[in-house]
Amino acid sequence: MYWIIQFIIRHRNFSSLLVTVIASLLMLNADLARQQAVARVLTISVFYPFQFTVSQAARVRRLFSENKKLREEITALSVKCAQLEEAAAENKRLCGMLGFEENFSHTLLSARVVVREPSHLCRSIVINCGKKHGAALYMPVIHKDGVVGKIIQTLSAISLVQLIRDPTERISVMIKKNREVGILETPDSRNFFIQCRKYAEVSVGDTIVTSGLGGIYPRGLMVGTVVEIRESSDPLFKDLFIFTSVDFFHIDEVFVMKLAPQWASFRSELDSLGYK
Amino acid sequence: MVETVVKWFAAIVICLVLQTTLVPLMSIFGIQPDLIIIVLALLCLEYGMTAGIYTGFFLGLLLDTYSPSLLGQNALAKTLLGFFFGIFNERVMRTDPLIKIVILVVGFLVHDLLFFGTQLFKYGDSFSHLFYEILTRTLPRAVYSVIIALLIAFWNTSIKPNLKR
Repeated sequence: MYWIIQFIIRHRNFSSLLVTVIASLLMLNADLARQQAVARVLTISVFYPFQFTVSQAARVRRLFSENKKLREEITALSVKCAQLEEAAAENKRLCGMLGFEENFSHTLLSARVVVREPSHLCRSIVINCGKKHGAALYMPVIHKDGVVGKIIQTLSAISLVQLIRDPTERISVMIKKNREVGILETPDSRNFFIQCRKYAEVSVGDTIVTSGLGGIYPRGLMVGTVVEIRESSDPLFKDLFIFTSVDFFHIDEVFVMKLAPQWASFRSELDSLGYK
Repeated sequence: MVETVVKWFAAIVICLVLQTTLVPLMSIFGIQPDLIIIVLALLCLEYGMTAGIYTGFFLGLLLDTYSPSLLGQNALAKTLLGFFFGIFNERVMRTDPLIKIVILVVGFLVHDLLFFGTQLFKYGDSFSHLFYEILTRTLPRAVYSVIIALLIAFWNTSIKPNLKR
């Protein structure tokens, strides 16, 4: 045994060659089933760690691409979600308006706000309802939440609407619960107030509606609510500060009331008297 | 010793990976360089016959397992190739770069003669087919591989030392 080991060590090149060549030849001459069995064992024992590493690397690469794809899908779904939310909000708004229109006795022309004054003052808007749609001068413009203003100029397809927040606009209003009448004014397009009799019964939260006395707006249109009551400089009156029910910065759809001013029927007589 | 083994093991693994991934992309008229034979030649020239024989055997066995060929065909061819390259071990004899190129080309011929010879022996293929394969595939593959080997040698002798410096 010793001399065999000595021989192998001394002639290790040839003994190595002999061993490996014999092993190769044995494998070559083995039947197919045995070859497959050897290959299977080699695959499991030798290739598995490499295959595992490679598959893990491929998995990581796949995760990256999957992550990218999911990000893209999330972005697309976010956009879609935002669009759907917008559609849902519009639907809700339009449903509300539809209900409002159904409950209203006057003929209404629906219109969309196409131009808004690009400032904080926001005293007027332009709507896509003009003469050809039936709009005319001084027709009241309302929103489902309340009064918006009146038409002060009409063209064929559009009209200019003066909002009630314009300081030059004054409308006759009343406290809904006791019919106490006053004039709604705003000096700065932000603070709305009414002067009413000092001893009138009024409290914060009372609803203010149009009185129908101004000749343009019919009676009972929602204007706002009382938010503050102050002593007036005039000892006979007190100031009621009003929070308007319409959010003028976020109105999209409005209605034009097909309503001629109350003075229209006796316009000629007024003209003859010199009223403008 | 361990460092050397790890270095050569890594080199062989890289060559195997490149041979199956990148090299097919470098194919010209179906002819590809054989990085495995190049790395085997480099190893044998540096470390001799025994290292060459065992490396050739296990490399061949890996390739036999990996590719659907006769089990032992690559092992036998590469074992004997390792033996052949090991004869020209640089520790025993100094060889010119040109001689090394010739050794590499002859090594390819030896390898393919053994490879296709085994096939001929096992399946009774014709000699004309063997020579046809050697003429149309082995020699162009040897030339292509020599070019790649020269690039590797150029890297080893000219670029790598400068990078180290």
